[in-house]
Amino acid sequence: MKLRVAGGRSLRSRVAGTVALAACAWLLPYRLDTYMIHVANVVILFAILAVGLGLVMGIAGQINLAQIAFAGVAAYATAILTTRAGFGFWTAALLAILIASAMGLLVGMPALRMQSHYLGIVTLGLALAFTNWVTNAHVAGGAEGISGIPAPELPFVDLRNDYFFYYVELIVFAVTLAFGLFVVHTPLGRKMRAMRDDSLAAGAVGVEVPQLRMTAFLLSSVYGGVAGVFYAGLIRYVAPETFSIANMFLLLAMVIIGGRQSLVGCVVGAVALSLLREVLVDYPTYAQVAYGSIVVLTVVFVPTGLAGLPKRGRALLRRIGWLRSERGVVPRLGAFRPYAEEPPRNRGNILRLADVTMRFRGLTALQDVSLEVAAGEIRGIVGPNGSGKTTLFNVVSGLYRPTSGRVLLGERDMTGLRPHVLARHGVARTFQNLRLFPLLSVRENVLVALDQTSVLGAWRYAVWQPGVWRHNRALRAQADELLDRFGLTAFADSAPGELPYGTQRRVEIARAMARRPRILLLDEPAAGLNGDEVRELRDITRSIRSSGVTVVIIEHNMGLVMSLCERVTVFASGRIIADGTPAEVARSPQVVEAYLGDSAMSEDVPTEASR
Amino acid sequence: MQVFLQTFIGGVSLGAIYALVAMGFSLVFRTMGLVNFSHGNVVMIGAYIASTFYLSAKLPFALAMAVAIVVTGLIGVFIERVLRPLENKDFDLMLIGTIGFGIVLEAVAIIIWGATGTAVPNPVAVAPVQVFGLRVRTYDLVVLAIATAATLLLVFFLQRTKRGAAMQAVAMDQAATAVGIHVGRSNAIAFMLGAALAALAGGLVGPLLYVNPSMGGTLGIKGFAGAILGGFGSIPGAIVGGIAIGVLDAFAAGHFQGYSELVTFVVFTVIIMIRPTGIFGERTVNRA
Repeated sequence: MKLRVAGGRSLRSRVAGTVALAACAWLLPYRLDTYMIHVANVVILFAILAVGLGLVMGIAGQINLAQIAFAGVAAYATAILTTRAGFGFWTAALLAILIASAMGLLVGMPALRMQSHYLGIVTLGLALAFTNWVTNAHVAGGAEGISGIPAPELPFVDLRNDYFFYYVELIVFAVTLAFGLFVVHTPLGRKMRAMRDDSLAAGAVGVEVPQLRMTAFLLSSVYGGVAGVFYAGLIRYVAPETFSIANMFLLLAMVIIGGRQSLVGCVVGAVALSLLREVLVDYPTYAQVAYGSIVVLTVVFVPTGLAGLPKRGRALLRRIGWLRSERGVVPRLGAFRPYAEEPPRNRGNILRLADVTMRFRGLTALQDVSLEVAAGEIRGIVGPNGSGKTTLFNVVSGLYRPTSGRVLLGERDMTGLRPHVLARHGVARTFQNLRLFPLLSVRENVLVALDQTSVLGAWRYAVWQPGVWRHNRALRAQADELLDRFGLTAFADSAPGELPYGTQRRVEIARAMARRPRILLLDEPAAGLNGDEVRELRDITRSIRSSGVTVVIIEHNMGLVMSLCERVTVFASGRIIADGTPAEVARSPQVVEAYLGDSAMSEDVPTEASR
Repeated sequence: MQVFLQTFIGGVSLGAIYALVAMGFSLVFRTMGLVNFSHGNVVMIGAYIASTFYLSAKLPFALAMAVAIVVTGLIGVFIERVLRPLENKDFDLMLIGTIGFGIVLEAVAIIIWGATGTAVPNPVAVAPVQVFGLRVRTYDLVVLAIATAATLLLVFFLQRTKRGAAMQAVAMDQAATAVGIHVGRSNAIAFMLGAALAALAGGLVGPLLYVNPSMGGTLGIKGFAGAILGGFGSIPGAIVGGIAIGVLDAFAAGHFQGYSELVTFVVFTVIIMIRPTGIFGERTVNRA
């Protein structure tokens, strides 16, 4: 209850701060001369671009060096459509934003297949290709650019006046920032943040990573388009050097220095660097040295940028005792509330592996593995470290495509499908060394997995935001229900890293269960747990099974395996050496040999070679 | 046919330089999994230092090049040292850090040498050689010879020396620390060698192109394109990819004039989308 009051107060102070800032921004033109109002107009455009870049880089974690080029595409499209084709400004503007978005999709296409590091250079190359085109193309006016773009028209106000233009821009900026923040705090942005924190785990909980990356590019290109259109309307002249790589790096510096993971930080960075540039307007090269150096220092010493400073400051004050620590009471892990019993949704075998072999550059991690798991059972997978257990999970959950062999879920062949597709077909898993999304709260970790909507449904963001909001509310209610079931309510707003290890393990199981999977793969869930926690884990696993979910569990804790599992499969050197009831397996001579002979020696090896 | 072969040879010579740039990218990437965005700017600095010492200090071309290699090598070590706290923690941040260094290097070049470029005269003032009825510029042959020698030296270092073998091990397994390999030193050496290759490329490219502060962007991207095209991280891939980009560039320049860069980048993007792993397959340091 106390926490909620504190939350209310911080919300109120935030609203008050926003209103005060908005009032300042509204009154600002009264204090500015004609030159400075023009500067302010350019600053706002940079802020819009920075919000777009923050969305794709800071929120979605995709490196995009084509943001200025997106603005360039829109500005040039506006210029060409108005001066050469005779369109009115607003029609041209609308078309220009559409063209910029199309470019966003095009540039984002490599993101479907490529790693984020490559993307940096590919986007940079395409941005250079754009400047190369406009410098040469006759229709784009060559190096001279295009002048004489008509001013945008609105009833009652003359937008050739920079003061009026300021207010239009200010409103556009407020709308774009609000929309950005809305995205960040609703399912789309949450999925993006999850992808940024750990794209592998995001895929495993059903996030369509490739499509989402493309959506991030699309989103940033819309911001680029809006900024470009208003640039054309403000300056009424476009030339290649405005959209050069140098300005792209300036924009990048704004986002990094401001704090890429906070959209407000991006805006602060844009304003701060623009002002710095204005102060050093007669020494542009020295300004470049300054902001380049600040970028280097920022990434090394303050990776969260200006936006992270308040938090760091509070932590510092707390350490030297000027500020008392936030919570007096340490929140406690609640009891698990068992699921209602349900028969399994499938009959017969839910999972079948047929002759699965997995090789990595000469190393064979799995050799002709055939395995059947009946619906509704708890299957134990044991074996010495490096025997291929985790590789098996990685194959079943789609992280690896097997070299040969087939994986069937029920009757369907699932071999080589992407992790998010498998997640959508009811495969859920946890990871051996915990892969929670570190920068998301516990509730958000669960929320990412709860959301079943596809990325393609993101069109709703453009059309009907209240629907998105309602959907988000419904998800939150579900998340709170789930957290309550797992006794995690007290930790809902904590970052996973702050929690005790055993609690983090439980969060990961809760996240895996959010999707109501058909089959749950637990990879060493008891590792690092104390005796009480292991007993709770046993109860949780049993309840999950009783609710109709098949459980496959990799575990070294033999006591747990023996008491929990109906059947146990034993791996050694990538092969199955025994399969049967715990009692049968324990008597098998091969197991005794492989297991006792090997595990006694490999006990101390902390990680599995197969990962 | 004559024109075709002439263009081809010009492309191969420029491509050999792209290959040197690409090897620098690949070396750093395979050792530590980082794309070094400042690499192109280091090439530019190398080009400036070599040309300055060659033109102003009137040093022999080879000596000017050696000075450039030493200076950029030190720059490489410096960059690695500053960004070392981020190693194995956040590669995106580290990548942005190298962009920051690139911004600074370009600005420093403008401060020292001015925003306009310098033309470097051909250091090998000999008439073109006739090979099978083709006129080949002697300088092209010099470039090819030096690039080949540098490549052989690099391969020798990576495969025949203990230090080079240790760097391979780091690339293979981050757990190399466990067997006593000093990862920080391997990374520093990778950065230093990468920068040295950059200086070599920059020095050689001076007489072919116009040396100017913004050449780093284009050269860097083309070198990187070569590296990806060949298979990022692979040394043979970097050579083949770099030369392919050079030849593509030469023909694009012949056919599309001003649009040559556009054509090169678009062709590269299309190829890379069809085959993201490049010609020699993938060698990514996967941190799954």
